Amino acid sequence: MKKVSLFIPCIVDLLLPEIGEATVLLLSRLGLRPVYHEDQTCCGQFSFNTGFRREAARMAVHFLEVFGEDEVVVCPSGSCVNMVRNRYPELLEDEPRWLDRARNLAPRVYELTEFLVGVLKVEDVGAAFSGKVAYHESCSLLNGLGVSEQPKKLLRAVRGAELVPMRDADVCCGFGGEFSSRYPEISEALVAAKAARFLESGADVLVLCEPGCLTNINGYLSRHHPDRKALHMAEFLARNLAS
Amino acid sequence: MEIKTDRFRETVQKELVNPETQKFLSFFPLVLSAMRSATLAGLPDSEAALASAAAIRAEAVERLPELLEEFERNATAAGARVVWARDSEEANRYICDLAREKKVACVTKGKSMVTEEMGLREELEKAGIEVWETDLGEFITQLLGLPPFHIIGPAINVPVETIRDVFLEKAGLEEPTNDPVQLGYAARIFLREKFYRAEMGVTGVNIAVASTGTVINVENEGNIRHCKSGPRIQVSVLSLEKIVPTMRDAFHMLRVLCMCATGQSLGTYASFDTGPRRPGELDGPEELHIVLLDNGRSAAYRNPKTRDALKCIRCAACLSVCPVYGKIGGYPYGWAYSGPMGQVVNPLLLGLDRTEDLYGACTLCQRCKAACPAGIDHPRMLLYYRSRQAEGDSELKGSGAPWSGKALHRFYSAAVRNPALWKAMAKGLRWAANRYEKDGKISRAPGPAEGWFRARDLPRFPDRTFHDRWKEIEKTLERGEKP
Repeated sequence: MKKVSLFIPCIVDLLLPEIGEATVLLLSRLGLRPVYHEDQTCCGQFSFNTGFRREAARMAVHFLEVFGEDEVVVCPSGSCVNMVRNRYPELLEDEPRWLDRARNLAPRVYELTEFLVGVLKVEDVGAAFSGKVAYHESCSLLNGLGVSEQPKKLLRAVRGAELVPMRDADVCCGFGGEFSSRYPEISEALVAAKAARFLESGADVLVLCEPGCLTNINGYLSRHHPDRKALHMAEFLARNLAS
Repeated sequence: MEIKTDRFRETVQKELVNPETQKFLSFFPLVLSAMRSATLAGLPDSEAALASAAAIRAEAVERLPELLEEFERNATAAGARVVWARDSEEANRYICDLAREKKVACVTKGKSMVTEEMGLREELEKAGIEVWETDLGEFITQLLGLPPFHIIGPAINVPVETIRDVFLEKAGLEEPTNDPVQLGYAARIFLREKFYRAEMGVTGVNIAVASTGTVINVENEGNIRHCKSGPRIQVSVLSLEKIVPTMRDAFHMLRVLCMCATGQSLGTYASFDTGPRRPGELDGPEELHIVLLDNGRSAAYRNPKTRDALKCIRCAACLSVCPVYGKIGGYPYGWAYSGPMGQVVNPLLLGLDRTEDLYGACTLCQRCKAACPAGIDHPRMLLYYRSRQAEGDSELKGSGAPWSGKALHRFYSAAVRNPALWKAMAKGLRWAANRYEKDGKISRAPGPAEGWFRARDLPRFPDRTFHDRWKEIEKTLERGEKP
């Protein structure tokens, strides 16, 4: 059985562990053996994005120590993969030894849907759902990793599910990490618009691939539309797997 | 113009509840970016066209010092007077002195963000010279005393009723009307008389060509052409990064600029000026002065990490796609340049200490980068500014992170590198957050995350992290059961 290394984002570890569990379930159902390095913590995105590069660089080194030798690393978050793939090289530019390791690891770190569709060549994971599904294009996936078709292929292959269009699906939900609490008014205006688009789409569920956006959108829905919910792709698929 | 970058937050509050702003923003950026896409789609290979534009900008910026000297030689040979201005003050002084020396009473201006940056109109007015903005949008902002809302449409958000009223009051409109054609006609009549009287025309420059010494302007109203051809004296203010190596490059950039700015294949008027009027020519100024404005740009050039900011061609494609600009509009950015390009340019020209909210108020969505025809990676630059600010970089006037931020990230970094400490932190965070839990969710919490809870909840922190659950998950996997 092929081993895949799980890269569980800190927000999933601490706040949304069910996304991690769903990722494990999906991968094992597809015949893979997920392994988890227990000394993994956080990729450093939070510190990097707020300008604390020295601290973030040390976190990147820790990450590379933990994951550096893995053949395949899979992560249920686009922004964490974007951090490792696209930001580590700049972050570690003054440390050639680590820079090499970062560059070496980068092509082996995959966002979950990118891995399922692009590497495993799986679109139908064996899930069924009767209802309408909308998809939110998280910025790090879409603009950072160029991942857009993969999640939609997975959703279209869910038996009984209808992928419905949502206006402005590719517009930011207003999360932006620290942005959401530092500029709450702007962030709220954006997440309110996103929620409105979701409701307007007529979808029963909003699926996305980014725990940050998920926390933001669900945080807003919980307050204003408590009967509506967004789900992470891993959870949506895992919950609806035929037993 | 007055620099209000430090009033970002209060202006945001106002604009988010300003019905005119919100109504305008709900359609305009979408329309503009749709027009851009449609025009680009008309090219057989738009990706190649954009890549070529980015390559031209990259070369221009890389070779900036040498190209500027080449431009100076060629423009001078064509009869222009080229003046280097270290900062706005030097540039303004040169232009004001020139106007005084030549006994200029009336100046007509073309819309130019670089002269907004310099505050030239205000300086000329202080020198007792009558100055008229002749671009319709800029004319309206002049009459209303407003800053530009958008770099290519400074008054594009102003409702027609407001324009009617201010034209009745200040621009000779005789009968109240909301008809845009009538209003445009009124402005035309009013400004025509200024063009007659003007002895000096001041414009910006869209593109300057090193190999020929030519300055190029593109516009839709014809007012810039009037400014450049009517008055005896012409002053072209060149923001020094607008240079390209050759005329061939200029033609390509001109097309790309028009496509990305207004969705046009080409603006209605494109004026190419190589030196002033020559003997035997019918029109054009007797004197052409080209003021090369630095104002912090050489410093931006010297640092390879900030140099990319100089690639910007001011097309405003980034404004149309920015989710933040799309909610707050142009005023909060507090200066001539707004949206993502302003967030990239303003901190370099003004210093990181007084622009913190500009590089802070970005969700890093990268739509601007995707839309930019000049090849700028805006989020990468904003992230760089954030780091220089946190470090207190003196070159860029970074003021340093507050001790609380430093302490937080030092602690976090230690926890990330020490899994035992990470677990302890997870416990502490859960305990602290869940104290505010009610019915399975957290709806308020004091401290730095307070803003989050104004309109959003968080789920309660689960009792066991993924780390805590892993051992069990692993056992089920080993037994070959489904987890």
